[in-house]
Amino acid sequence: MKKILAGPIPWLTPMLVLIFGVVLWPVYEMIRTSTLEISGSGKEKGFVGLDNYRELLENPNLVGAFVRTIFWVVVVVTLTILISLALAQLLNQDFPGRRYVRWALIVPWASSVIMTATSFRWMLDGYYGILNRILTDLGFIDESEVVEWLGSSSTSFPWLIVVAVFVSLPFTTFVILAGLQTIPNEIYEAARVDGASPRKTYSSITFPLLFTSLSVAAVINLINVFNQFPIIWVMTQGGPGYDTDTTTTLMYKLAFRSQEVGQSAALSVLNFAVILVFVLIYLKATGFTKKEQD
Amino acid sequence: MIKRGLKRGTAVAASGLVAALTLAGCAASTETSSDAPVTIRMIAAQYTDAMQPYYDDLVTRFEAENPNIKVEVEVVSWNDIDQKLKTMVQTGDLPDIGNLNYFSSFAADDLLYTAEELVPADVLADMVPTFIENSKYNGVAYAVPDLASARLFFYNKDILAAAGVAVADLETWDGLELAMQKIKAYDSSIVPLALPLGPEEAQAEFMIWANSNDGGVFADGEWSITSDKNVETMEYLGSLVEQGLTNPTPATCNRTDCAFALFAEGKAAMLNGAQFLPNVLAEQESPVNYGFTTFPSNRADGSSITLGVQDYFFGFKKEGNLDAVQKFLAFLFQPDNYAGFLEAAGGFLPATVSAGAALADDPALAPYIEILPKAVFYPGTEASWPAVQGEMQQTIGKAVEKGANVLAVLENIASRAE
Repeated sequence: MKKILAGPIPWLTPMLVLIFGVVLWPVYEMIRTSTLEISGSGKEKGFVGLDNYRELLENPNLVGAFVRTIFWVVVVVTLTILISLALAQLLNQDFPGRRYVRWALIVPWASSVIMTATSFRWMLDGYYGILNRILTDLGFIDESEVVEWLGSSSTSFPWLIVVAVFVSLPFTTFVILAGLQTIPNEIYEAARVDGASPRKTYSSITFPLLFTSLSVAAVINLINVFNQFPIIWVMTQGGPGYDTDTTTTLMYKLAFRSQEVGQSAALSVLNFAVILVFVLIYLKATGFTKKEQD
Repeated sequence: MIKRGLKRGTAVAASGLVAALTLAGCAASTETSSDAPVTIRMIAAQYTDAMQPYYDDLVTRFEAENPNIKVEVEVVSWNDIDQKLKTMVQTGDLPDIGNLNYFSSFAADDLLYTAEELVPADVLADMVPTFIENSKYNGVAYAVPDLASARLFFYNKDILAAAGVAVADLETWDGLELAMQKIKAYDSSIVPLALPLGPEEAQAEFMIWANSNDGGVFADGEWSITSDKNVETMEYLGSLVEQGLTNPTPATCNRTDCAFALFAEGKAAMLNGAQFLPNVLAEQESPVNYGFTTFPSNRADGSSITLGVQDYFFGFKKEGNLDAVQKFLAFLFQPDNYAGFLEAAGGFLPATVSAGAALADDPALAPYIEILPKAVFYPGTEASWPAVQGEMQQTIGKAVEKGANVLAVLENIASRAE
């Protein structure tokens, strides 16, 4: 006992305090809040068990938001990975100015997501947006015609996806690029000697060896995109109505617009459960459990 | 290199620690030496950027007169203040004075002092009676009005003249529709009417149009959100949208960055404006030659209404803060200080009779003071109004979309009323 106190405990204490204070306690508070009735002014009115969950499940906007969230996550992550695979391949080639291209790719990552989303919002504005200007100049739309790209979900949701992919590309590309660089050159040489076609080389060597980087990139993106708030909030606020809400923005709107703090907490518990599943997949993908067994 | 950085970091941390200990020492010593000073905190609304300097000056003078009371005023923007107050309530970290556009949900939770406790009797007696009526919850006033505003219909004089529209044409809804068609025929790139049904202020837009058609949200002690008149109102607006007489997607058009901006640039000919719109236009250096008139009406008696909006001061019940809260608000409502408040807030209607009398000759305010007896107000005295308003802001714009089920949209909003 004495040995433990003098040994690891003092070194672990800051970390343990951090985990309890920053992770476990908020989780506890969140779950507790989801079982309370909370009035419009924010006052606690007592324990109500699972009533908030029941009300949440009856909320007419939940199903739509949930389906949209799945669509949102799957489409954004798939597009991001596909484009990043190509970009990483390109950046792995030797060409003059490669360094500058790599720098340029970091820009969407380095600028704040709020800023990017705000820029896109104004580019897509019906009256002042550059997009309508260009389309008018090219003769695609009439001078007096105002296309509000963010005015209905049929056009705004695809644009949200475009922006989400845009901001996810740098990170994903660099993860894959790092993966590409770990593949030893000898293997490619051997393949060349054996007369493998470029397509065969890619499918039998590059892609399988990239699998770990790909799964890491995929899971981190899953979590990021699922939790994505600023892009949607800045560009559409989930509107018109609830037409472009994901469960993340709906959670916010429930608390601060609809004054349903309890329902909002219930939804955040559900969102948290989804994230936990993603995290477990991540740990599995990065071989966390395997290392422990070794 | 790393080592040196580390050492420096330690030194900084150590000096910070020393500073913190010294500060703690100071705090401890003052607490014991003086006779229990009270600190009160106010969360105030940022009507303009002049609010913080105004409060800084006010607090300095107040503290000089009341050495035992310290006042901390935090001026918060309209975007955040609602959320800020709610978070404070939820975490039990109550401020002492709040300043917001509603109060009833706090009153419903028994968190507030009554108006009688909040300000001295002479100040309360000086308040405009209508405003005090609107500060009641279950028949008792739990807040005092800090200021109010009214709204009128704004138009671009040059566009109207060029399109051959007279201001008198805008008295009725039929006349308005005709005028809008004329404007569109004159120049199709101009938006005849800016219709901001986006979340920012959709509830005001709804109140104005619905009440101009004998509709509204609350009448005779009952919610009336799903009334036939309201359905008719939204269908009328929907038909304007469909004819291309408004901005194409009102549901995502917010008041400030869409409607006001379009009007300021001369891209929109008309809109429901407010008392503070001239200030906004001046700030943006808008070249628009504008005028204003009463709202177009479709009421049975043909009269025109306005939307009166009042904001509130209210005090949170906390052990030992009442005396300080009361003194500070009484100080704020002293004629000179209150005049300064109105000036900093920028062109609103005063909440007190005396200040109103002093400003009655102000040409910028006169039209609004004149229309005020015809004002309709939000049902701010209902505890579920904030929830109704929140739902309305998010969804009422959907009612003017093509093929929308107006009644279903209204029923959904009404479901938030308790």
